[in-house]
Amino acid sequence: MPLSDYLIDDEPYYHAVGKEVGHFEAAYADRMPIMLKGPTGCGKTRFVEHMAWKLKKPLVTVSCHEDMTASDLVGRFLLDAEGTVWHDGPLTLAVRHGAICYLDEIVEARQDTTVVIHSLTDDRRILPLEKKNEVLSAHPDFQLVISYNPGYQSVLKDLKESTKQRFGAIDFNYPSADVEAEIIAHESGVDGEIAATLVKIAERSRNLKGHGLEEGASTRMLIHVGQLINRGLPLGEACEIALVLPITDDPDIRSALGSAIAACA
Amino acid sequence: MTGPGIKDFLKVISDNGVRSDDSYLTEAAMEIFPDTYAPRWLRACRKLENAGYGAPVLNAYVRYSLDVAQLVGPDRAIALADVVSSVAIKAGRAAAESLSFAALKAAERLDKDQQRFRSWMGLMERFADLAPESVGLVLDKMDELLTKLNVSRLEAWILAGVRSAGTDAERRLAFFSFEDTEADRWLDHEAGAVVLSEMSRELKAYMGALWNIRIPLREPAANAPDHGRRRASFGPGIVRVPSAFPGFRGQQAEDLFRAVVAHIGAHMLYSGPQFPVAELKPVQVVLISLIEDARVEQLAMRDFPGLRRLWVPFHIAQATGSMTAPSLMARLSRALIDPDFKDVDGWITRARKMFYERKDEWEDPLISRQIGGLIGNDMGQMRVQFNAKSYVIEPPYRDDNLGLWDFGEQESPETQEAEQLFDSVNIEEQQDDDDAPPDRERDELEENEEDDTNRMNIDFVEEDGVPVARYPEYDYVTGRSRPEWTTIVEYAPTPGPAHMIDDILEEQAYVVNRIKSLITQAKVSQPQKIQRQAEGDFLDLNASIEAMISRRVGEEPDPNVYGRSERRNRDLSVHVLLDISESTKDKVVGSNNSVLDLERQATALLAHAMSGLGDPFAIAAFSSNRREEVRYHRIKDFGSPYGAVSKSWLAGLQGGFSTRLGAAMRHASEDLKKQLTHRKLLLVVTDGEPSDVDVSDKNYLVEDARHVIHDLAMDGVDVFCVGLDSGGDSYLTRIFGRRNVVQIDRLERLPERLPMLYFRLTA
Repeated sequence: MPLSDYLIDDEPYYHAVGKEVGHFEAAYADRMPIMLKGPTGCGKTRFVEHMAWKLKKPLVTVSCHEDMTASDLVGRFLLDAEGTVWHDGPLTLAVRHGAICYLDEIVEARQDTTVVIHSLTDDRRILPLEKKNEVLSAHPDFQLVISYNPGYQSVLKDLKESTKQRFGAIDFNYPSADVEAEIIAHESGVDGEIAATLVKIAERSRNLKGHGLEEGASTRMLIHVGQLINRGLPLGEACEIALVLPITDDPDIRSALGSAIAACA
Repeated sequence: MTGPGIKDFLKVISDNGVRSDDSYLTEAAMEIFPDTYAPRWLRACRKLENAGYGAPVLNAYVRYSLDVAQLVGPDRAIALADVVSSVAIKAGRAAAESLSFAALKAAERLDKDQQRFRSWMGLMERFADLAPESVGLVLDKMDELLTKLNVSRLEAWILAGVRSAGTDAERRLAFFSFEDTEADRWLDHEAGAVVLSEMSRELKAYMGALWNIRIPLREPAANAPDHGRRRASFGPGIVRVPSAFPGFRGQQAEDLFRAVVAHIGAHMLYSGPQFPVAELKPVQVVLISLIEDARVEQLAMRDFPGLRRLWVPFHIAQATGSMTAPSLMARLSRALIDPDFKDVDGWITRARKMFYERKDEWEDPLISRQIGGLIGNDMGQMRVQFNAKSYVIEPPYRDDNLGLWDFGEQESPETQEAEQLFDSVNIEEQQDDDDAPPDRERDELEENEEDDTNRMNIDFVEEDGVPVARYPEYDYVTGRSRPEWTTIVEYAPTPGPAHMIDDILEEQAYVVNRIKSLITQAKVSQPQKIQRQAEGDFLDLNASIEAMISRRVGEEPDPNVYGRSERRNRDLSVHVLLDISESTKDKVVGSNNSVLDLERQATALLAHAMSGLGDPFAIAAFSSNRREEVRYHRIKDFGSPYGAVSKSWLAGLQGGFSTRLGAAMRHASEDLKKQLTHRKLLLVVTDGEPSDVDVSDKNYLVEDARHVIHDLAMDGVDVFCVGLDSGGDSYLTRIFGRRNVVQIDRLERLPERLPMLYFRLTA
């Protein structure tokens, strides 16, 4: 199998927050394109990995960025010593060989890039490779998954309506306090008590969302804090390094957040 | 040689019946003024004598200058005579009389430092120039002032008073007599105390983060009684925090502010509905409040154990304190929060035991009433006097607890205040809007024109302006900014006939046509070739040849063989700020139009050009009437369309008042900074020097404006000025820099020049 490198062998840890696993399985049964919505660091990427492992399908992940062109997804002719050679892009690879293709932060990509997925996400399920003069029909196992963070995107960056309406969506949010503490404890190795404190700290920062912070501290961030604590750093310093300093440059908010964190333990 | 001189002099004084104590003075003078100094000092005395300021002035000088000489040297003491003289001339005899004694105190407070004493004398002379009527008041308080301030801070404080009152001597008197509470506030500020205005943003965020409570923080009302200003207070929808806590500095003061809001947050979260006061005696009210304070703090510390570290250090009551009510209460407060605190007093031990025994019931506010009631009775039996009038709660982070009580029919002062505050809260809330999540932007953009205008109308139903923001102002003399010095008041624009704007376009058809062709040119900007790309519209010949060569020699060719042409997109937002001060009403020589008319025409044409280009733009006009009222009229906002409404507002502009340029620029740039475009341009059209009725120093507002430009440059905002005053070269270049000013000498050509200038600037 050409995509064997993309198969996930070990189970990626994922703690279900709601019914998202069942929902995804149902959508996959019909290969319905899925959009994962939710704030950064709440486990979207991990969820896709987990599902790919569970469904035993290869996973091709593309992190989208604003300079990404359609060819970066589809593929291009490259030159080698013998002449021109076609190279499949990651999307083509997934379509040809039947993988789950995960386009992370799709809105970051230019809008002319995102339209290449249109023909793949309706009942046609084809990918025209204009330059190569080929029309590629999708492998039966192929599914497209995109992630989308509605919070921090500006007016300038939003999905086209015609793109949005091709997808089913699963909404992610930060897990409940107990679950989040369990995840932090599992991923970073800190004990349950510290993990619970970290969740309480995260709540403080999430309270400031829209009032000084663009986004509250993510579960990922808390895991980082936990990892630093595990390496022997005191809680306050670990929070400073992995939470307060990365999240904002505003001195007032930093100070307020620092004091609120100090109150938590 | 000294002997006869002194004798003569003393004789002169005696002749006037002023002094008789010859021996004392002679001896002292001889001792302090050896050799050459004595005659100089005597000459100085004689000068004061001859100037006829009266005996008390001379007397005070003679008496205190000797001591001054001992502290800071004879040179300074002799120089003091000139200062006395100049103060006497400018500020009157009473002030001159006070000066000598104040000088002695200053010499002591300034650590006998000659240099600093000299600056102090210089400051007093300048002060007599600036605010002659207030010199005496300040001199009488000099000792106290200098315990808090050094000379440069004293100068900053004096200037704050002079600047805030402007030319109004009455207001200056109110300030320097401390009748105006601003005086205290600035004294705290200059004394380096941590003040609320510096902390309030952080505190609000802290309150939000910790308790998820968002509530305006305000200073105590101006008419609040003195002891009411020393502690925080809360009521429905408002928290009052003292502007500063005297005696606390640096980190400790910051922590104190945090402790205050953390404590009030605990009340808001854990205190139930208000207790009815009913028949309770003041001492019972205070004790129930005390238990309630301890109860909510314990609950808060269950959730946030770190708060203990914040609160406990402020409990400094000692077990050995006296047996007065305030002392006992402070000790009990400490006993209830600090487990390491040992106090053997029977009353305290009993209360503490009662409180901790009911640990499981802490959730219930009722236990505060019960325990508080019981220990109140105990205290009654102890016959400890309690004076509710003079009682101030300890430790200082606790609030006055008025918010806990329901005073029944009689309206509590707190609710009255809260009502009065409704207007001023407005400011806070509008500022908070800045923090609205980014989604908001989208919402606003999606609103169509009709909705938009409706919303505007609702905002501005009343004729009076709405204060929306406060900004600092820079004082070049002290080299620092005074926070929250100016208030922006937004006024509803007066609608005028919208067709007036279209008429202008019609009249200026020639310019409009030129603009039209320029728009096309600007839009279709020169395409640029971008080469060596991985993909593109055409083959990059050079890269292709190199790639072929590489292939022939068997190397791996560089795949970047394409090129493409790209047009640079315009990515620019513009904020046009119009000066509509009184002077713009003047008619332009040789024309029927006033300056404002020409500004209006120019803006109409400019707006026409900008909307044609599709650049996001905003238009606002400003004038000012003292620092408390910088009048700001929004003609067009960034999000709103340029349609009939904006046009009619532009048509309705009327001139009046003064030009406080810096404050207006600060406010305009707030909108501009939120724009996401690459370039941000603030285009200022002004016809005269920055000025305002409360400012007498010509340089002050010029330097403030210059400071704004400097700040804006750091924020990536370009500022360009169109000057309509042919004599304005000097100050406009001073403010904006030589390259960022253009002078329009023939004003009647402004309407034509402004759009062209815009094209040039943004090309």
